Parts: sequence; C-alpha cells; structure tokens
Amino acid sequence: MGLFQNKHAGKPGKSPIVDVFENEKNFFDESFREEIKTHAREYFEDVIQKNVVIFKQDLDAAVAEIKADLKTQTSEKLDKAIAEVNANLREHTTRRLDEQFEAYGKEVKTAQAQTIESLTRTAGGLEDSYKQLSQKLEQSVEGQAAVFAGAAKENSDRIAVMKQSQDAALDLLNKSAQALQEQHQALRTMLQKNIVDQENMILSAFQDNMAQIVEHYLLGAMGDQFDMKAQLPSIIKQMEENKQAIADDMKL
Amino acid sequence: MTEAPVNSVKTAAQYILPPSLVSKIDLSRLVTEVERVDNELTAAEVRAKGNGGKAAQPVLSQQLVDFLQANDTSLSDGQTRMELIKQLRQLKDKAPVIHMTFAVTADVASLQYIAQWLRQEIDPQAVVAVGLQPGLVAGVYVRTPNHVHDFSLRGHLAAQREVLAKELGALRGNR
Repeated sequence: MGLFQNKHAGKPGKSPIVDVFENEKNFFDESFREEIKTHAREYFEDVIQKNVVIFKQDLDAAVAEIKADLKTQTSEKLDKAIAEVNANLREHTTRRLDEQFEAYGKEVKTAQAQTIESLTRTAGGLEDSYKQLSQKLEQSVEGQAAVFAGAAKENSDRIAVMKQSQDAALDLLNKSAQALQEQHQALRTMLQKNIVDQENMILSAFQDNMAQIVEHYLLGAMGDQFDMKAQLPSIIKQMEENKQAIADDMKL
Repeated sequence: MTEAPVNSVKTAAQYILPPSLVSKIDLSRLVTEVERVDNELTAAEVRAKGNGGKAAQPVLSQQLVDFLQANDTSLSDGQTRMELIKQLRQLKDKAPVIHMTFAVTADVASLQYIAQWLRQEIDPQAVVAVGLQPGLVAGVYVRTPNHVHDFSLRGHLAAQREVLAKELGALRGNR
C-alpha cells in the first residue's frame, strides 16, 4: 500500500506538460486527498498522543510541585495561624481565669466569714448542750449506780441462796447416787441369783421333759413288740417277786 | 358228769376252782349254768317219774365239767345241786378278786396259766378281773383290794425316770 498506489499511468501520445497537468489533476484527486487527510490525521493523532503523554507528565510534575508548594505554604500559614490562635487563646484564658479566681476568692472569703460566724454560733449552742448533757449524764450515772448497787446486792443474795441450793442438791444427788448404786448392786445380785435359779429350773425342766421324751420314744418304739405269751414269763416273775405282798394284801 | 358221785357237803371256801374258771364272770356263768341244769334235771326227773323212764341228761359246759371234776362232785342229786348253787353263790360273792390290766389282749391260755398260778401261790379261790390298757406297753398292772402293783414297762420307765434325769444332769455337769 503505497502512497501512490491509486495513481493512473499517463496516456501515451500526449505531451508531458499536458500530461503533467493531467497527471497533476489525476495526482491530487479526491482519493489522494483523502489518503493525505487520513495520513495527516494519523500523524497528528500520533503527535497529539505523544504530546498528550508529555503534557500529562509535565502536568503531573507541575501538579506535584504545586502540591508540594501548596502544602508547604499551607503548613506555614497554618502554623502561624495556630500560633496566633494559641497566643490569643492563652491570653483570653489567662484573663478569664484571673477573673474567675478573683470572683472565687471573693466568694470563698464571704463563705468563710459566714461559716466562721455559723461555727461560732454552733459552738455556743454545743457548749450549752454539752453542759446540759453533762448534767443529765451525771444524774443518770448516779441513778444507774444506785440501781446497780441494789441489783448487785440482790444478785449477791440470790447467788448465796443459789449456792446453798446447789450444795443441798449436790448433797441430795450424792445420796441418791449412793442409794442408786446400792440398789443397782442389790438388783444385780438378785438378778444373777434369779438367772441362776431360772437356769437351774429350765435345766431341771429340760431334764424332766427329756426323760419324758425318751420314755415316750421308748414306749412308742416298743409298744407293739410284745404279745401276751412273750410277756407271760416276765409277768409271772414279777408277781413271784411280789407274791408275799399280794398275798398279805389279799388276806386283809 | 354222772361218774364219781361223791356228794359230800362242802363249804364255799372248800371248793376248788379249775384253771378254766378265770374270772368272776366265769363264776356267775357257772352259777347260772348250775341253776339251769338243776331246773332241767328236776324237770326231767319229774317227767321220768311220770313216764317211768330215765331222765334225760343236760348238756354241760367244759367249765362246769372241769369244776365238777376238780371238786369230785356230781349234779345227779337235787339236794346236792341246791347246796352247790348256794355255795357257788357265796363263792361268787366272796371270791377274792385280783384286777389285772394288760397292755395287750390276753389269750385264754395265758389267763388260765395266771389264774392257776394265783390259786397256787396266793389264794386257792382267787379270780381275775381282766382289763386292757395299751399304754402300759408291756407287763401287767395288778390291783389288789388295798394295793396297786405296777409291773408294766411304762411303770418301770417312770420309776427309772430319776435315773435318766440324773444321767442327763451328770452329762450337763460334764459339759
């Protein structure tokens, strides 16, 4: 794509000047102008783009510098303003404080004066009350002392009576304990005797019952073992042994 | 019964009781039987006198036969029978009774043996009143008019109970 790609070749047989004019006409035709416009536009755009970048860089640098300067100046002005404000504020505050302190001092003095006056009056009242209370307290102490003395005497009498009662009770308790011990000993002796008697009685009953049990067992075991013929010799023998007694009884 | 008619007069005490007559009840039966026989023989004699024949002989029990033989007497004579009845009644009332209670039922032979022994050793006319008490276990319980003789095993054990109790006491003492 060249700059002259749309160019038409010259017609043969014509003169060069005519050809040049014709060519010039043909050379600066619409298409060529358009191409030149395009080319120029692109060129300007490129230049503009480059200039924009450069301008942007310059602008950034200028902005940065302006920022720095502005910051510096602002700081200085702000410091100055602050210093000035501080000075004004300190002065104003000092003046206000002095005024307040002065008013406060006056008020404190007034209050102190009133307080001292009130304390003076209160001290007088307290002194009177103290005197009255002292008198009442003395009277009360005297009354309490009398009451305590009476109570102490009554308590002393009661303690003496109580001690006598305690002694009597202790004596009675000792006697009761001794009597109880004697009764316990007698009861123990009697209980042991009863236990021995009971044991002997139970054992005797056991022996008797045991004899009856053995006898019952023998009777039950031997009851059917004898018939009359088997018993007859024993019967005759026993009657023979008691013959004389039987005969004597029959003669009576 | 008609043999050996030795009709001597005897008192009640002279009669001999045979072993077959054991109890007083036997004596009562004997009296009753003799009375019956007397009635029958008297009637038979009357009939015989009227008919001129021989009087029919009544049937006698073995106890009566034994009694007649033991006492050497007969029932042929009416007077003898009357006297016999009278004496037997006295004998029944006066015969000494010995109450004997056994542990088991006594058989006749044993009772006769015992009755014979009693009459030999105790009294010739003794009779036995028999009782039964199984609780005796063995032996006999003899009751005479005034005494009691306990020859039973139960009585023997009861008499020996003290010995058993003594043995048990000795055993307890050993422990």
